[in-house]
This record gives sequence, structure tokens and C-alpha cells, in this order.
Amino acid sequence: MHMSDALLSPAVGGTFWAISSGMIAWSVKRTAMDQDGRKTALMGVLGAFVFAAQMINFTIPGTGSSGHLGGGLLLTILLGPWRAFISLASVLVIQSLFFADGGVLALGCNIFNLAFFPAFVAYPFLYRTIAGNPLSSGRLGPASVIAATAGLLMGACSVVIQTTASGISALPFGTFLLFMLPIHLAIGIVEGLVTWAVVVFVVKTEPSILDMQQESGKNRSLVPAVFIAVALLTGGVFSWFASSYPDGLEWSMAKTSGLEELEGHDEPVLSALSSIQKKLAFLPDYGFRPSSETAGSQEISATENPVNPGTSVSGIAGSMMVLILAGAAGMLTRSRVYRTENAGE
Amino acid sequence: MSEGSVQQNPAERSLPAGDRAALAILVLFTLFVVAVPGNNLPAVIAYGAFPLFVITSARIPLRLIMKRLLVLSPFVLFMAAGNLYFDRQPVFKTGYVLVTGGLVSAGVIAAKSFVTLSALLLFSHSVPFHRFGNALRAYGVPEMFATQLQLVYRYSFLLGDEARSLQKARDLRSFSGKGKDIRTTAQLIGSLLVRSTSRAERIFMAMSARGFGSSFPVRQKEPFTARDGILVAVAILGFCAVRIMFIP
Repeated sequence: MHMSDALLSPAVGGTFWAISSGMIAWSVKRTAMDQDGRKTALMGVLGAFVFAAQMINFTIPGTGSSGHLGGGLLLTILLGPWRAFISLASVLVIQSLFFADGGVLALGCNIFNLAFFPAFVAYPFLYRTIAGNPLSSGRLGPASVIAATAGLLMGACSVVIQTTASGISALPFGTFLLFMLPIHLAIGIVEGLVTWAVVVFVVKTEPSILDMQQESGKNRSLVPAVFIAVALLTGGVFSWFASSYPDGLEWSMAKTSGLEELEGHDEPVLSALSSIQKKLAFLPDYGFRPSSETAGSQEISATENPVNPGTSVSGIAGSMMVLILAGAAGMLTRSRVYRTENAGE
Repeated sequence: MSEGSVQQNPAERSLPAGDRAALAILVLFTLFVVAVPGNNLPAVIAYGAFPLFVITSARIPLRLIMKRLLVLSPFVLFMAAGNLYFDRQPVFKTGYVLVTGGLVSAGVIAAKSFVTLSALLLFSHSVPFHRFGNALRAYGVPEMFATQLQLVYRYSFLLGDEARSLQKARDLRSFSGKGKDIRTTAQLIGSLLVRSTSRAERIFMAMSARGFGSSFPVRQKEPFTARDGILVAVAILGFCAVRIMFIP
């Protein structure tokens, strides 16, 4: 999944260089506090371990092909997000500059796609949540597979977005995404299975290795901020390119009834509810409510100008609402679990 | 992983620029090539003159660079093929051959990859890794990251050899593909991981005995001399000249 310079515009490449450099500087600042030479040596050797582990191929069942470990999630499990990010970034710098795997300008994108997602999203949000604390061996499998797959899929989506935003490739966004996601889903599942098997091996033979990273609990404070940034980016910018065609349900209804939205019956309760919904919806149909002056004027089609401030605001607002709801649900669940655990003691 | 990049070679002495200047020129060159519009093949080919000039002037064996370049990333080839398929707008016709927009833009993608990668390979062939680390330090890259790069690079060869031995041992004991499955390989990787962490412990003790804190001692910062400044300026002028001549 290493991107090449040839597929990027200077603006996109430069932006991701800045983002990745900032993330490296931030990670260095976070990890430099303990000044532990032992961990420095460990990070170096484990970075080299990822290189070495990638040389060992295995047979992928049912395909006749072979694959190798990526190592992003495994390194994060062993070192924690900050140190793993630095270690993965250093591996990618060496791969790019000294083995010509990926380009100089593409380095920022590659670090973002291959190190940021496993270290700062997949590991704290998925792996740790599913695997539990202390580690539950029964949940290690789903935790590894789901986190590795999600990390890879997010990276693949990011590759598609970066390439499309650069405007070098003629591949349409949707087609490119359809090419990238299934293959990375399969790779992610295999990566997750290998990561799981390696972690199980380590738990059985040398469990102390997994106790080396003790800072992950503290690191989770950053992650909500990062998620908010991703949500803002997705809702605010990428929503411009959302398809204006009907969704699956609308398409099915249009095929069966000839109408994208079914007309409601003229029942007083439904009419009242519909009227309340219209008054409450501050961004109807994912856009600004048309003012009385503009209501009758002709709208510019989405294909002519995809950049729509109304769509951005509704995208951001929607993302934030989902985040707040998810956070609130998580806190409610946590307090309930806490009460149950305390009651059991 | 090639071990050629850790061996001393004559090009290390024959580059006219210092390491900091070489790194700056590499980044600038990449930016200029990447900024060429997607349908301008002549400009990309013209930029290819710069790596060719360095190869001939620094007496770097062309065979080494070509061998690496032949293995173009499958991802780049896939994207170039995508352009071929999706952009079939005819641009011009030569004899019986109809050249489409997709063919031109696919050619540009492949050429850009070829040219930027050859510059990268030249850099890696000419600047040894420890000097690259020092150049990064001189540019203000955090010490911890520079140290990390050097450690990863150093031990990747060591652990690479170990991984090869483990793989060879497994392959010798596998018949008809049996024993090369994910589970067995994961145990192999786990074993490599356990060995790596105990090696890290030994390395730390050895480094501590030699006075290592958490970074490598650097005697002096890589200087950026007046000669380096002139070389960077000349390179920028050259890159701008190509842009003016080939990009309307």
C-alpha cells in the first residue's frame, strides 16, 4: 500500500508531510519524557524486527498465494501508540529512502496511512476495547482481526482519498474504492490472524514482553481529539463528493413504486410529526434551509460544483452528534459495568 | 533487502555536494518532477537528465540502479493501467496508432516514478546511512527519531539474516507446502520476536557499557558550506530552466 510520488500532487504530499512530521514531533515529545535508554534500544530492535518479519512468507489458504506480516498493529501492541508510531515511521523512512519503496514526497502519506491508523485509531479504540484490560485470551482473536482489518481499511480509504484529491489518476473515486477495499479486507483479516497467533505465542512463552508498554492508558486522551479531527475532515470535506444518486433503500423504492420517498397518509398524527420534524431539522436534506429569496432560484447541480458549505456544515454537525452520542453511550455503559463489577465484589 | 547499501562504494566520495545539500536537492528535485502536469511527458523525460548526469559524473554503476528500477511498484502500474482504461479520449494519431489521453497520462505516471525513484536510489547509493542520520540532525530532526532510524537500519540486517535462517530451516522441514501455514509461520515470527527482545536487552547493556544514554554522540554537526549553497542554487536554476522550457 506504499504510495508513490508519481500519484501525488505537491499540495496533497506537502499537507501530509506536515501532518506526519507534526505527529512524529508530538510522539517524540511524549516519549522523550522518560529518557529510558532501554526502551530506545527496544524500539530500534523491534523496528528492525518488523523489517525481518516481513521477509518470512506464509501460504494463504485457498488462494495459492503467499503473504507476509505488515506489523503495524503488532508493534503498537508491544510498544504502545507513541513509540510504535515513531518506530513505524522510521521503518517507512528507511523503506522509502534506502529501498525505494514509496517516494520522498509520498512519505508523509505513507506514514499517515500505515502508521497513524493502526497506532492511534485501531489499537486504542478497537484492540484495547475488545481485548479488555487485563488481556482476555478469548477476546484476543476478535480484537486482533477487527483492529488489523479496520486499520488497513482506513489506510486504504486514505490512499484513495489522497490519490483522488491529487487529481493524477483517472480512476473514479467509487471504482477505486471498490478495487481497494475488498483486497485490503482480505489482507487485513490475514494480518489480524497472524498478529493474533504471534501474540498468543508471546503470551505463552514470554508474557513479560507484553507488559513492556505501560503508557497506553494515558494515551487514550489524545485519541478522541484525533477522531474528532478525522470526523471533521470526513464530514466537512469528503461529504462534498457524496453521491447525489438515491441510496439503496431509495433505489429499491424507486424501482418498486416509481417514487424515491413514499407519500405518507393524511393522518393528523403523521402530519403533526412531519411538521415538527421540518421545524426541528436545521439542515434539511444535508444542506442549509433555503431562504425565501433563494427558494425559487435554480440550484447549481452537484456535478458542476461539489463544494457545498451546507453539506459541510451538516457533515460536521452530523459527525459531532454521532461522536457525542457514542461518547455518552460509552460513559453510560461504563458506569453500568462499573456498578455491576462493584456490586459483585 | 539489499546489503549493497551498507557497503562502501566509490560514489560516496565522488558526489560534489555535502550530505545536507544532497538531501535538499533530492527533495527539491522530487517536488519539481511531481509538479509537472499529468500530460506533459517531455518535461518528465527532461527532468530525467539530472539523475542521468549524476550517474555518469559520479561513476555509479547504471546496472545497479536499473536492476532496482525494473521492479516498479505494482500499485503504480495499477494506477497507470486505470488511466489507460478510463481515459480513452484520442489525443493524436501516428500512422495506425491512436494515442489516447490515458496512454499519455499513464506514461507520465510511469516516467515520474522512474525518474523520482532513480534520484532516490542515487541518494541511497551515495550517502551512507550514518551520514544521512547526521544530515537529518543538522536539519533539526529530533535526536530520538534520528537515533531510532539508525538503530532500525543497523539491526534490520542482523535480524534479516536471522529471519532468513529461520525461514530456510522451516522450508527444509516443509514438504508439499505443509508447514508453511499461517499458524506455523506465526510461531516462527513469535520466536523471532522473543529473540529480538532479548537481543535488545543485550544491546542496551553493551551500549550502556560504552556510555550510551538515549542517543548517539555526534562529534560535530554536518556543516552546510558555501559550496553546498552554490550547488543547491545551481540545481534550483536547472530545475527551473527545465520547467520554463518544457511547461508552457
